[in-house]
Amino acid sequence: MNFLYFDPGLGAMIVQAVVAAAAGILLFSKSVMYKVKSFFGLVKEEEDTYDSIDVEEQDTDKYDREN
Amino acid sequence: MTEKTNAHQASFRDPSGYIFHDGNTLRRAIKPIYFPQYNSLKDSGFFKSLIANELLIPHTETAASSDEIIITPENIPFITNPYEWSFEQYKHAALHTLKIQKYALSKGFILKDASAYNITFHKGKPIFIDTLSFDFYEEGTPWRAYKQFIMHFLGPLALAKYHGTEVFKMMQTHIDGIPVKLISSLLPTRTKISSVLYPNVHLLAKMESKHSEDYKAETKIAALSKKSQENIIESLYDYIKGLSLKEASEWGDYYNKTNYDETAFEAKKTLIKEWIKPMAPQKLIDVGGNDGTFARTVIDSVPHIIVTDIDSNAVDYNYKQVHQNKESNMLPFVCDVLQPAPGIGFNNTERNSLIERLAEYAPDVTMALALIHHITLSGNVPFEKSAEFFAFFSKHLIIEFPTREDSWAQSLLVRKREFINHFDFYNETEFEKGYLQYFTIEKKETVKGTKRLLYLLKNKNLEA
Repeated sequence: MNFLYFDPGLGAMIVQAVVAAAAGILLFSKSVMYKVKSFFGLVKEEEDTYDSIDVEEQDTDKYDREN
Repeated sequence: MTEKTNAHQASFRDPSGYIFHDGNTLRRAIKPIYFPQYNSLKDSGFFKSLIANELLIPHTETAASSDEIIITPENIPFITNPYEWSFEQYKHAALHTLKIQKYALSKGFILKDASAYNITFHKGKPIFIDTLSFDFYEEGTPWRAYKQFIMHFLGPLALAKYHGTEVFKMMQTHIDGIPVKLISSLLPTRTKISSVLYPNVHLLAKMESKHSEDYKAETKIAALSKKSQENIIESLYDYIKGLSLKEASEWGDYYNKTNYDETAFEAKKTLIKEWIKPMAPQKLIDVGGNDGTFARTVIDSVPHIIVTDIDSNAVDYNYKQVHQNKESNMLPFVCDVLQPAPGIGFNNTERNSLIERLAEYAPDVTMALALIHHITLSGNVPFEKSAEFFAFFSKHLIIEFPTREDSWAQSLLVRKREFINHFDFYNETEFEKGYLQYFTIEKKETVKGTKRLLYLLKNKNLEA
């Protein structure tokens, strides 16, 4: 582990276990709700201003050719 | 290799390397301590993939020896800081950071710090600029930069949701982000039942104060699986993506409230276009340019345009337009001309003041439309003083002067009540007297159908 140039905060390191558990429950319940809603056709398409969190693995060779 | 003496003042914190000026080019030196990470990031194609996805600023390796590697990043014309962003910009910067962290995790790396200063806006989008911010992921370790992310991103955004975007200015006084305890105390009590804000802010603040006395670092840190860490990132992402301002006053269609009609509006646009075109500026700044309406009249012919405004909503509206129209040469940000962002951080030099950055940017044309009466009458700034401000960074200045007869200038004057006579100097003659100390008049015209004058001024220090 490289040395740090800022303090990550011990409390912050410990709390992440709890935060992750809460996040897990939240994400799970959200996906269940989404399934229920889409079953009843209640899902509204929202206007997106920023794309998804996932990076699309794209053909980086194309980038190479351009540069 | 000798240590560069012209190292950038903002890059002393990270021992992995530093940025320095090589003439006019900004380069980044990497020290041997970071070689393993750097080589792994490079050889695994991680950098390449980030750059191809427009997440990280592109760079080229320009020199390599056993004690230093030099990389040269793509030039960014103007760096904006978090306290100069509008809500949507801040939000996108946060999402951008989380997106990179999630991708890094999937490739066996982490973001070792989540400072908001690692992001700036370039070509109409947020971009990550700290190439050395990555480290190896160690199985089971929590995210070291988690607290920093809360202090730099989630905290300010959540506070802005409840208190408005003025909150972002706190980043100016807290270069390391807003303290978690403070965020927690400023958030409304009802956020304690929020499934995201409770664990990520309130509980975090509690834990931090509980463990602040662990001087020997004896407390064991529980392991955290990669999946758990992804869950944290995703839930933060979802929450931030859904954030909107409580007082989301849609940018109030400013131009419907203005005091001139369609013809005058078009006349002003035409005049500006006619004056700017022959100058063929490479860089232009519109100070107090609202949502960028007037700057957009020349957007096709000017390679780089900055539009600032005091109104965060106007900047937000402008940024959304940039996003929608995929404009790559327009940079909006928030700025109050009466108190531009100062230099902050260690030695006051870590982040440059706005004036310094503007002087460095050196715009070919500066526009100040419908602004001078605010500076002079609301800010009580004498003409000579505001002329000095513009002269510091402007070559050519297009400035609009609403005469005393103009209804907006009238309304500002009337509000002075019994002091109205103190502002008798607000007139064309005095205006010119003040500005001629620093500028020469190139052109002067009345905007058709209005009580406003448009000037094209040239800085006296500019060689003819």
